Amino acid sequence: MDTLLQHLLNGIILGGTYALLGIGLTLIFGIMNVVNFAHGEFYTLGAFAAYFFLALLGVNFYVGVAAAIVAGVLIGALCERFVLRPLQGENIDTVMLVMIGVWIFMQNTELLIWGGIPQSIPHPFSPRPLIVGPLHVNSIRIFVFVVAFCLIGASHLAIQRTKLGKAMRATFQDREAAALMGVNIHRIHTVTFAFGSGLAAAAGALLGPIFLVYPSMGDLAALKAFSVVIMGGLGNFMGATFGGLMLGVAESLGAGYISSGYKDGIGFIMIIFVLLFRPAGLFGRAQRIG
Amino acid sequence: MLAAALVGVPVWLTNQYLVHLLILAGLFTILAVSLNLLLGYTGQLSLGHAAFFGIGAYTSALLDVHLGLSFWVGLPAAAVAAGLSGLLIGRLAFKLRGAYFVLVTISFAEVVRLVSLNWMELTQGPLGLPGIRPPSIRLGTMASIPFHGKGAYYWLVLALAALSYGIASRVVRSRIGRAFVALRENEALAESVGVDAFRTLVLATVLAAAMAGAAGSCYAHYVSFVGPEVFLFSYTITMVIMVIAGGKGTLLGPVAGAVIFTAVPEVLREAQQFQMTVYGAILILLVIFMPRGIVPYLKERRAGAP
Amino acid sequence: MKHGKRISLAGMLLGLLALVALAGPGAVAVAQEPIKIGVIQPLSGPVAASGNFVANGARIGADWVNERGGVLGRKIQLVIEDNKSDPKEAVTAAEKLIVRDKVPAIIGAWGSSMTLAAMPVVAKHGVPLLVETSSSIKITKQGNPWVFRISPPSEMEAAGLEKVLAQDLKIMNTDFLAVNTDWGRGAVGAFGDVLKKYGGKLHAVEYLDQAATDMYAQLTKIKNSPADWIMVTTDVGQIALILKQAAELGIKKKILTTGGSSAPNKLITLAGPAAEASYHIVIFLPWFPEAMPDAALAKRFVDEWNKRGLPFEGLTESFRGHDAVFTLAKAIEIAGKAEPTAIRDALKKVTWTGLNGPIKFDHEGQSWPSIYMIQIREGKITLPPFMRRS
Repeated sequence: MDTLLQHLLNGIILGGTYALLGIGLTLIFGIMNVVNFAHGEFYTLGAFAAYFFLALLGVNFYVGVAAAIVAGVLIGALCERFVLRPLQGENIDTVMLVMIGVWIFMQNTELLIWGGIPQSIPHPFSPRPLIVGPLHVNSIRIFVFVVAFCLIGASHLAIQRTKLGKAMRATFQDREAAALMGVNIHRIHTVTFAFGSGLAAAAGALLGPIFLVYPSMGDLAALKAFSVVIMGGLGNFMGATFGGLMLGVAESLGAGYISSGYKDGIGFIMIIFVLLFRPAGLFGRAQRIG
Repeated sequence: MLAAALVGVPVWLTNQYLVHLLILAGLFTILAVSLNLLLGYTGQLSLGHAAFFGIGAYTSALLDVHLGLSFWVGLPAAAVAAGLSGLLIGRLAFKLRGAYFVLVTISFAEVVRLVSLNWMELTQGPLGLPGIRPPSIRLGTMASIPFHGKGAYYWLVLALAALSYGIASRVVRSRIGRAFVALRENEALAESVGVDAFRTLVLATVLAAAMAGAAGSCYAHYVSFVGPEVFLFSYTITMVIMVIAGGKGTLLGPVAGAVIFTAVPEVLREAQQFQMTVYGAILILLVIFMPRGIVPYLKERRAGAP
Repeated sequence: MKHGKRISLAGMLLGLLALVALAGPGAVAVAQEPIKIGVIQPLSGPVAASGNFVANGARIGADWVNERGGVLGRKIQLVIEDNKSDPKEAVTAAEKLIVRDKVPAIIGAWGSSMTLAAMPVVAKHGVPLLVETSSSIKITKQGNPWVFRISPPSEMEAAGLEKVLAQDLKIMNTDFLAVNTDWGRGAVGAFGDVLKKYGGKLHAVEYLDQAATDMYAQLTKIKNSPADWIMVTTDVGQIALILKQAAELGIKKKILTTGGSSAPNKLITLAGPAAEASYHIVIFLPWFPEAMPDAALAKRFVDEWNKRGLPFEGLTESFRGHDAVFTLAKAIEIAGKAEPTAIRDALKKVTWTGLNGPIKFDHEGQSWPSIYMIQIREGKITLPPFMRRS
């Protein structure tokens, strides 16, 4: 029973990190309809930025993480302006291809700058586990879990309640109408992409200190993010969050009770089953945006 | 003229390294043409295509290594095995559309990769299957000459590439091909005039999968080593690049894409550690300047359109 | 097209050279040509760090050979190609090196899958391949006469340390956590066999994906097993994560890592106190060059590596590049010419002491490297007492 609880706890915390990965992509893929294969690279960018500020410059932990998020937002904005905007109106596959190019470019640039050796990011949390009965959990993971949910909540509010959020939703639901109403389409595109990339960078900056930082860290993360987003229903924040938790728990239990070699496969098998029974994702029927 | 030169390659091109590249380009042509049927003509983004390639490669490899069956059995077996898996995944995945379909194809490919990695008894897992024998030609009942040197492989791959191009060309111009395009443009409308979307899409998948499987079989016997790396997502990405950058939905697009994107990484070897960074930059620029792909861009230029 | 031009240019040059050669012993100009040696390594992708370590070690080897006047009066020039961790690329790289660069020998290709894919190519063209890192036992069992290896397969690693495991560390009950590659699986098999031989027992055997970062599931299972040791086979990044996560889960077992990829001082940086008291199998001791068979050479190598500003953790892998280059250089000397078949035959006669230890190839082309072990104590690398006896 204890083991089951530990596996569940592991899964929930892991799932929280997956949810964090998913919310940024839900904006970009779910709302902007960009198949962003470079999403994992913004995750990596956030981690390396955090490494730069925290390990190399020795800045305060919270400031460093914030700086890393800003880096993600800025680079995301640049990417949208110079790579995506020229392709506005093009086929979804064309945009997907250019993002593949960005993926390859960013990852290999990172390899050139930082080398392939994994790095660690210092953090102020104790490495010793918190022990609650038979369960062990690490304090930084709890911190990340809490922050992840705060970010998810804040983003949800931003999209639903603010003027900017409304403009975003309007633009992606009906571009022409939004333009006619005076919404600056270009700016909205840039802001949305930057927002989503910033969230990915946040995930990287928060998870970097728990795991390690290396140029190919984004590949698996991106794949999981796509799974989470689609399972949760495109553009659905709550769906992506729930999907992330489900994926984390399924992987944990699967690896714990079935086979660790197939751990990642469990997630994919689950996805196949979910989509077969609920073709529009877990919450697909719900409102498409937000 | 070009055809004669192509067929005569093993005769006049003595640089074995270049012949090797042409063989690789030929294999990728088959893969790109097959993916184009799905991606370009039916408009369905299947990102699990490496799975069919890998299933074909493993089928052929296992038949040789465990049962001693030659390539000439392995090739059709690979096509059939891949085609059957195309049938399976098609029937499952085409209950969905759009992003959901894409995700199921990715998931399927990943599951297949993990099976190949973990099912040690069957595939030897990460240790892979080395020592796959080359194909051989039987002379009478006694002698058989194994493929020696690249010439024979080249002709084999050239023949298969030409065959797959021919099949694709036929299909595209046929009624089925028109059904593909109709589904791509407007599925509801197509259904309303009698196109059975489900069956047509599954058919496209089976055909594409079988072709990819055949390419896999050739690959296995040419490289003589097969490991779970054939299922890597990066293979699918390479095929996707070739199809879209070449010009999806055209017949020559995937061929151009396969040749160009086999050549580009080789030329970039000169750039040493900057190779892949430059490759990424080239891809970005290519898409921005030729959003529809290289072949459509060239066609437009030739037609004089801006 | 560029290639087309190169072919005809090369053709003309070859024609000229043929004329010159036929004309008489005017071959002096040709003799000053450097001897090219091919190197195939993963220079991009997830294991790029390792590939670059080996390549840099090879560069030091080549530079040192050239400092002493080269081989047969000619300098060694390394032609280094990226195999992108893809077997098909290893094949292409081998073809390019042999056909375009005309190298008489190749060092490569780090990962076993890449090496296995390149082996038929070198056999077809008749060029020796010196394997420096790959650990799959299949490499020397294919009956390929062109393949020679200086790195140990897992079986050799395990056999070399049987006494240490049984008598010094007294590992009787252990779990195993390995990366799901040929290397990891090979290690589980090899060490499992050795354990069985002296009466030890394997309990929980778990695998992790090459890209995995969260090992809680596997570690929770390991926590529940009665074994008191955990053996780990994977690279330094994942080892660090395993150590940290094991500590987070409150696991108190003793840890031994195999395979020589633990880069222990990087591990201390990455895992901190979680690395305390862990043992690590290594193939080179850059912290204790005096304990290596050729202490002076080892010290020189470590100093040169540091002088070039290269990361210290790379020393646990880069020595392979150096040893491979020197081995080939010696073979070429023995052969008297930079010709593939002659080099292959000469390799069978090579015997010298490299950075790792004595190098001499058996009938299967396998050399028998020395295996070492270190322990991390109080944040420092130490040589356990049982390692100190000669």
